[in-house]
Amino acid sequence: MPMKGRFPIRRTLEYLQKGEIVFKNRVKIMTVNYNTHGELSEGARKFVFFNIPQIQYKNQWVQIMMFKNMTPSPFLKFYLDDGEQVLVDVEGKDHKHISDHVRKILGKTEEVLQAEAQAKMQESNPANFGPRKYCLRECICEVDGQVPCPSTTALPKEMTGKYRTKMAASQE
Amino acid sequence: MFQVIGGRSVQAARVFAPRSAVLVEAVRGRKSRTDPVAKSKVGRIKVPSPVDPVEMVVLKERYGEYQMIMRALRLEFKEEMLRKRYEEDTGSLAEERARQEAEEHRILMDFNHQENQRMLKLRVLRVQQEKEEADCKKLEVILQREQEQQEIVKEKEKEILKLQEDAKNFITMENLDQRIEEALDNPKNYNFAIDKQGKVVKQTVLQ
Repeated sequence: MPMKGRFPIRRTLEYLQKGEIVFKNRVKIMTVNYNTHGELSEGARKFVFFNIPQIQYKNQWVQIMMFKNMTPSPFLKFYLDDGEQVLVDVEGKDHKHISDHVRKILGKTEEVLQAEAQAKMQESNPANFGPRKYCLRECICEVDGQVPCPSTTALPKEMTGKYRTKMAASQE
Repeated sequence: MFQVIGGRSVQAARVFAPRSAVLVEAVRGRKSRTDPVAKSKVGRIKVPSPVDPVEMVVLKERYGEYQMIMRALRLEFKEEMLRKRYEEDTGSLAEERARQEAEEHRILMDFNHQENQRMLKLRVLRVQQEKEEADCKKLEVILQREQEQQEIVKEKEKEILKLQEDAKNFITMENLDQRIEEALDNPKNYNFAIDKQGKVVKQTVLQ
């Protein structure tokens, strides 16, 4: 059965890639304190249910922890790498508001993301030949219409080095 | 065993060529180290080909120049990369950027702080209202309890009065004789039938 759980759309790649929150490099840990019952925690619960998978997909190196029923009111806490802690109160807020607010204070802006994407594209020039990890092709023999790899099919005699040297030597 | 570089200058080239494994491929071939030598090669003594001194001098000079130029180019490119990296990390532009980022971060943190304060105020109000409501409810509950208790007391009093009323009709030692006389004088007939409305329908005759 491919569908598991209550809202299996949360597990699809398409949904995860639609996530908008990409944290700044300084954010290292994110902590969510919320309650399982109660009207005021509803927004936080929805946020954890729907938005946290997207956030973790986009920020694979940020540690995200969830704490349930520890405090009377729900909140988010972010720990930056210089020791600063950012507290966000989410009591009574809607999950959309929460995600917008978080994106505003600690997310990378659209222009920064676009600049990063541009830089990445510039680094990876499709015309480069090299290891598979960095480039599309390793050798010209992989391109359609070019001379095939001599390891699979033998080159015609006129193209081999030893024939050419023999001809050159015999002519002298 | 080695790749062919040129016609006659193999030996000299081998001496001057870089020591790295770019040019040389030491492949074992078909036989392992324990296999015996082939019959045709039993008495073979490998003699290296003779070196031409004039040629050696010329090649040494040329190779030296070539390697010097290549090394210089490599080092120059490396230095360019390092300089670029350094500029990016600790250049004047980087400082500007860092300052701007810090400024923006401060603004956003202030905004967040404002939001938190606003939520705090709302929460305080809400908690106060809830407390007041709870107090009201408590008072109401107390009042209700008191009312119930008063009603119980009233009922009890009514019962006592009723009992007092009934006490007048009790048979005591003084009334005993009188009541017996009365009972004997007035015989009561319980043999009667009633219909659904409660009216007496039949009645036997007392004897």
